[in-house]
Amino acid sequence: MLGFLTARQAGLDDPLRLRRAESTRRVLNLELNHDRDVDRIHNNGINTIDIEVIEGRYMLSGGADGVIVVYDLENNSRKPQYTCKAVCTVGRSSQYVHRFSVETVQWYPHDTGMFVSSSFDKTMKVWDTETLKPAEVFQFEGNVYCHHMSPIARKHSLIAVGTKDQKVQLCDLKSGSRIQVLQGHRGEVLSVRWSPRYEHILATASTDSRVLVWDVRRASGSLFSLDQHNGDKSKASSEAVNTAHNGRVNGLCFTVDGLYLLTTGTDDRMRLWNSANGKNTLVNYGKVSNESRKGLKITVSRSCSPEFVFVPCGSSVAVYTLHTGELVTMLRGHYNNVDCCQFHPDYQELYSGGKDCNILAWVPVVRPPDVEEEGTAAKGGSQATVNPAFEDAWSSDED
Amino acid sequence: MFRSRVLLFFSGVCLNDWKILFDKELLQQCFKSVMNRKRALISDTFKVNKRRVGNEKQFGAVNNGEAGPLDVKATLQDLMTLFPRKLFNDALPQIVLKHQLYSIHNDRTQVDRQLSDLREQGELLMFQLGFDAEAFGLVFAADYKAKVLAGEEGRGTRGTVDKFLEKVLPSCKDLSFNKEKMLKEFLFTDSEITQLVKSGVLTVRDAGSWWLSIPNSGRFTKYLIQGRKAVLGMVKKSKYNEVLKAELEERQTNSQVKFQIKYHIHDIIGAELVECIPTTSGTVLRCVDY
Repeated sequence: MLGFLTARQAGLDDPLRLRRAESTRRVLNLELNHDRDVDRIHNNGINTIDIEVIEGRYMLSGGADGVIVVYDLENNSRKPQYTCKAVCTVGRSSQYVHRFSVETVQWYPHDTGMFVSSSFDKTMKVWDTETLKPAEVFQFEGNVYCHHMSPIARKHSLIAVGTKDQKVQLCDLKSGSRIQVLQGHRGEVLSVRWSPRYEHILATASTDSRVLVWDVRRASGSLFSLDQHNGDKSKASSEAVNTAHNGRVNGLCFTVDGLYLLTTGTDDRMRLWNSANGKNTLVNYGKVSNESRKGLKITVSRSCSPEFVFVPCGSSVAVYTLHTGELVTMLRGHYNNVDCCQFHPDYQELYSGGKDCNILAWVPVVRPPDVEEEGTAAKGGSQATVNPAFEDAWSSDED
Repeated sequence: MFRSRVLLFFSGVCLNDWKILFDKELLQQCFKSVMNRKRALISDTFKVNKRRVGNEKQFGAVNNGEAGPLDVKATLQDLMTLFPRKLFNDALPQIVLKHQLYSIHNDRTQVDRQLSDLREQGELLMFQLGFDAEAFGLVFAADYKAKVLAGEEGRGTRGTVDKFLEKVLPSCKDLSFNKEKMLKEFLFTDSEITQLVKSGVLTVRDAGSWWLSIPNSGRFTKYLIQGRKAVLGMVKKSKYNEVLKAELEERQTNSQVKFQIKYHIHDIIGAELVECIPTTSGTVLRCVDY
């Protein structure tokens, strides 16, 4: 570590190198910390969380009871013990609350004055954060599974919506109307995602086992469909030709630079695709257990080397290395299924929410103090750097 | 509430193993080994810290990370020795399942890459075994040719099979063939295709396309599924649904299990039907109940 600092000071190393090394070390040390807690407001499971990109300070969460909560993640108290308080809530008492479970929430990418939520009550609502009233309500014919707004769009303000219907709808925020429909899927659309690299590229995943990539400027259909065998027709049985997974595809995530796309499916597999040509990179992650009937929210780390992907797997969150497929660790702590997770890029923290109505904050472990600073070693124990959580409180002294 | 949660996380092993881990020192060393494993990952990427001696050692667990480069061919040859040739009266070539390799080597992507290299060179053949979309069988090409031709001795279909092995196998590395390819590219007639299906080299996939297959492999698949179920049953019936790998290898197998138990153990670990957990007394296999 000191080597990195001196190299940066002397100009031998790029400043980015120190930053990446430290980010990676922090991500590898994620764990539950009893100093950090998130206020427990939801009474039913939490389906989705989103952290705003501008400051990284406010977090939205949507629950299975239709309640939406905004939390303040910043620690302004001087103490290390901190509970992320709920700033405001759209609770069951509000007259505008969603009637059924909220499936996806997302902050408006350019400021926190607005956020969009979509729910199983077949509506998508655009909320004003100050007054907590919906500025716009879009009605659909089927349950809305997911929506996404492009984080980099300047030329358009489209929200892509995936519903029970096979058509992907594009709603325009500026005019408030549904201006485009993308046809091509043969089943419910479980997940939609805009590319973080090009503002007109959209990827959609559906129960017909296919993932389609669209350019919304084109009048004709999708650009290409992701094929897990890369066109090698001999590998699959004939029904499974040109599919991304052997089951429903329910998770989609672009990497931060937009060059790769991750998909997860109910065939218990996760695949990494080259987003430019749609080729399967054939990275083998092993069995990524996936039993979700709706969408699964996976997330990728940012500015680490190697990059990590966080996947909710049952009641824990699995951390894999992105390009080699190695399972780094399983983050255990939830009491029930985990539905969503979100990575906070500035502090390298992970927030995960699940059916046990808790949002857990996984915080990197602080470096242990050096042994020389401790003075004389403690009696008996060999470890001067024992975390108080490891202190033995149960075995008797007659050992 | 938080302390118990943190302990749950750090135990790495489920609370069921408390009887092995009640010793305070062992517990702390186990925790340290979890942390050290992660620190070891950093030193690999950035080579910053000097490798502390004993950093890599995990208490009791078999060290799967070999120092040398990943050699898939050598592992294949080792696994092939586990295959029972006498059971099939030497009529079948030695078959290894692709996921058995995953139980030995940690890096699956590398294993896949080396396998595809071996297939490109023509040394290895891969077959879709039919009972599972992801189960692929691997056979050395020389072995396969020898056994198929031996099986065809004195049969009328021998000439066609010979032609197939000479023309198609070296050039085409696919797992399945469809009708146009057979007729146009390789100039087989319909009756010749029927002969190939009869001899077992091709099996029907659907109308107009066929999988490449191993003749007489039906019994192999049957015994494999039977034995897999029996070994999984052994793990399930154990107390707490888990058993030490070393102990399972020593166990007596009943009449359902026709192969060596090690073959089945590699199979269930690689197919992720059991979870492999390193503990202080060795690797423990725990049933994954879904």
